[in-house]
Amino acid sequence: MKEILLKTEGLSKSFSSGGALQHVLKNVDLELYKGDFTVIMGASGAGKSTLLYALSGMDTPSLGKITFSEKVISDFSSDGLAVFRREHCGFVFQQIYLIDSMSVFDNVMAAGLLLNRDKAALVKRAKELFAAVDISEETQQKFPTQISGGEAQRAGIVRALINTPEILFADEPTGALNSQTGMDVLNTLTEFNERGQSVVMVTHDMRSARRGNRILYLKDGSILGECDLGKYRPDDSERHKKLSTFLSEMGW
Amino acid sequence: MNKNLLLARSNIRKAKGQTVAIVVLVLLASIMMNLWLMLSMDYRKNFDRSHDKLNDGHVNLSAYVISNDFKNFISDTLKERTDITEFTVSDAFCALSSFKYNGGELSMLAVLLEKEDALSRSVGGFEITEDSDFKSGIYLPMLYGMGNNYAAGDTIKITFLGEESEYTVCGFFNSAMIGSHNCGMMAMLMTEDTFNEFSEKSCALNSAYVSARVNDISKCEDIGTEIKDAISKEYPDVVVTKNDYKLVTTSRYISQMICAGILSAMAFLVLLIGVVVIVSNIANYIRENMQNLGALKAVGYTSRQLISALLAQFAGISAIAAVIGTVLSYCVFPAVNEMMIAQTGIPYIIRFQPLPILFTVIFISGVVSAAVYFSAKKIKNIEPITAMRQGIATHNFKRNHVRLEKTSLSLNAALAMKTTLGGLKQNLIICVTMLVISLILVFSATSVRNTIVDIQPMIEMIAGEFADSAINVNLKKEDELISILREDSRVEKFYLFTSNNMEVQHVGGVSLFVAVTDDCSKMNNQSRAIEGRYPKYGNELAIAAKYANENGIKIGDEITLKVGNSNGKYIVSGFTQCSNYLGKDCIMTREGYEKISSLPNVTYYINLTDGTDIDDFNNGLSEQFGSDVNAVQNILLFIESTGKVYVLLMTFLVIAIVIISCIVIIFVMYLLVRTLLNGKMRDYGILKALGFTTGQLVLQTAISFMPSIIISVTVGIAVSMGIINPLMAVFLSGIGVVKGTFIVPADICIIAGIVLVLFAFGAACLMSLRVRKIAPRALLSGE
Repeated sequence: MKEILLKTEGLSKSFSSGGALQHVLKNVDLELYKGDFTVIMGASGAGKSTLLYALSGMDTPSLGKITFSEKVISDFSSDGLAVFRREHCGFVFQQIYLIDSMSVFDNVMAAGLLLNRDKAALVKRAKELFAAVDISEETQQKFPTQISGGEAQRAGIVRALINTPEILFADEPTGALNSQTGMDVLNTLTEFNERGQSVVMVTHDMRSARRGNRILYLKDGSILGECDLGKYRPDDSERHKKLSTFLSEMGW
Repeated sequence: MNKNLLLARSNIRKAKGQTVAIVVLVLLASIMMNLWLMLSMDYRKNFDRSHDKLNDGHVNLSAYVISNDFKNFISDTLKERTDITEFTVSDAFCALSSFKYNGGELSMLAVLLEKEDALSRSVGGFEITEDSDFKSGIYLPMLYGMGNNYAAGDTIKITFLGEESEYTVCGFFNSAMIGSHNCGMMAMLMTEDTFNEFSEKSCALNSAYVSARVNDISKCEDIGTEIKDAISKEYPDVVVTKNDYKLVTTSRYISQMICAGILSAMAFLVLLIGVVVIVSNIANYIRENMQNLGALKAVGYTSRQLISALLAQFAGISAIAAVIGTVLSYCVFPAVNEMMIAQTGIPYIIRFQPLPILFTVIFISGVVSAAVYFSAKKIKNIEPITAMRQGIATHNFKRNHVRLEKTSLSLNAALAMKTTLGGLKQNLIICVTMLVISLILVFSATSVRNTIVDIQPMIEMIAGEFADSAINVNLKKEDELISILREDSRVEKFYLFTSNNMEVQHVGGVSLFVAVTDDCSKMNNQSRAIEGRYPKYGNELAIAAKYANENGIKIGDEITLKVGNSNGKYIVSGFTQCSNYLGKDCIMTREGYEKISSLPNVTYYINLTDGTDIDDFNNGLSEQFGSDVNAVQNILLFIESTGKVYVLLMTFLVIAIVIISCIVIIFVMYLLVRTLLNGKMRDYGILKALGFTTGQLVLQTAISFMPSIIISVTVGIAVSMGIINPLMAVFLSGIGVVKGTFIVPADICIIAGIVLVLFAFGAACLMSLRVRKIAPRALLSGE
């Protein structure tokens, strides 16, 4: 029996556009489990990112509730959500979003110090994480504009993981990267997931989606279907076929 | 509409808050600048208008006790002079007098004239400004009919040469040259019956009042001295008091000068802050709109057109704000005018003055346009393709100022420090603003301490000497007075200090007012000697520093003074300052003065023990000496009444300064925070996404301003405290001040500095609340 990390009930989100209400998420009931690599797929406009905003506490739903460890985070204030994000979530963005005026290392420390008061332990963890993603000490002291996109995204992953979050949210993490660096980033995410890190990733890239063990397909604001791909193995040819079949069934 | 104007309008629409802030700064500067110009350009001219209207004299003399042929002598003397164009000699009574005013007591030489005779004078005329049905009584200068002082029909008690009488106030008059206690002598007009009744009194000294117009106003001081000397030669016993155009215009317009000086300084300082803010805004505009500017260039706009659009935007709104400011200054002017009239005593009718408006609008628009042009010139360097692709890097993060893994600062403080150290322009604006405001605050604190809290330092600088009481008796009663004062247990200290408009002629120079004392070490105001020391011996004197500086006189020099035909040589022992005589005075020992003249009467300054009722003490002395007392004065009350004008003026100015400073800080902080947040929108979004709360980011933003605020306020307060007295000396140099001797209140300055820092921090926090609007979700990719 898998442990539920995050649960939504009747989650809906609407936006007002030109006086008319646009229902982006419709009554989504969802459970996210600890240790899973959950991938959210769907066509453009399906509501993938909106779902990610809501799950990660970046936005509040219009209706329904989101529960995390028996706390209804959908009722939290914006500052309450900020605390929730810092304590339980990590984020990897498509555009990376490192702060240009800080060194790579400071970008990680800024997130780490927000929660962790033991600076020595934090520095040690940061260095371990940088080593794990293969970023040298020299690169760590550079500014984001001085390093490659791949290095920056891997640094983004280090920042996301510095506080040992319960869930790592990744929004199109390879979207702005070339093929090889994208692959490196996916490998990194997979490695951390194999070590027990829960990951929720939004993507429209099949190659990226293959890394997940659970695929959710969103259409018109509702979860149309899901597919269990099982544990990721690089040489698993059946996995790709299974995903392709699932996506075909979903109308991908 | 013109393309440039369209661009300017678009820019203004996009930055409404910034436009409002710049408008407010320019508005404040233009209000103060126009007020300053109106006070400087027309206010003194108003004196000339009044002077011309009354055909008043440029040199005026009162002389008593006169012999029968004196009038003929003075008429002949004046007729012989080619530099006198016309004159009038009138019968009068002159007497040292005192009466209640502004809750205190005024004492001055009164020139009493019969009303109809005064009104018919061809030179030195008078104008009744308020009359009544009362047929018998006295007319006062209109200054005393202002505020809560006297009104027609009131009874006024006036003491003439120690003899108190009651009169009905019949009305008020205007006189340019002797219409206030600031003129050296002051007129009072009596109805015929009152004048005749007064002539029977023992205090009625048969006198003459002479008004003469000269053909060269610049020589009026010398002409007055020459006439006085001529009188002294022929009539050694006649006591002559004179004033002249220069002395009266300066002494009646001290508060106008102070107010105009403060307004001009404030106007330029606020304009400076406004210009710095505009320059910074343009730099930010270019940085933030690099791609748009590149695109505009790509579609055919020239650099000149883009710069013109910025010029139209900033110079346009500045010109409009300046025009509105000049209009608003007319709303403030009545309040300023009322305060000024309380000191000048000459009515001023506010009228439209195009020149100050033109100067204000052109100067402000010109300064802003120049600043805009030079800061917008960078647009010329923008290459369209480069700008559109990625913009031109304006930040080069080469140094990691605060390494988070090593710093001992808290996270918020450390991130704020990074912002601080990376924002040169932000720090520069803060430094300029805070240095200026610190100087203004130290000036205000010093003004509060030296006028509002305790006016004595101001009085020491302006009036010279002070004590609790002063009594002037005839020379023959001096020994008796000394004996009584010695035996009176209420008397703490007393000393001779006679100065009743006595003058000595500096051979090779001008006439100097002289104060004669028997022991300078007893004088209460020891700070009047600003260099060297007071005279100790008969061959020494201390001379006004301003006069000494202007004439190359040094301590140790020997100068010759004369009164009538007698002259003597004196060594300059020190320099003094006292604005009462506009820097043309000296202090001598009695022994020294009596080498060249004799004292007509003596004034003793008296310090009384704590708790002594000064009025009781004075009344006792008056009764004891009867008609031998010329004047008894409660100096504390005198200080109170004359000081009220300055206290009122400084209170108004300090309140205005504090309000303006607060407005400037709020708008500068608004512009800085807005600029900062615009530049950090993305970074703050990231930090919010990572879990930073709005409160943390607000704090970070506000803290990022604090190092430059704290450093500039600390430096500003410290430096300002050091330079405030020299600055005040420059400021008041026109009235004879060479060295500022104001008490600089370190405690008030430090408290003001702390309040300034806290206020700036509060304003920064308040303005930083815009952080609330930054949403982290905007960072995530769109659907």
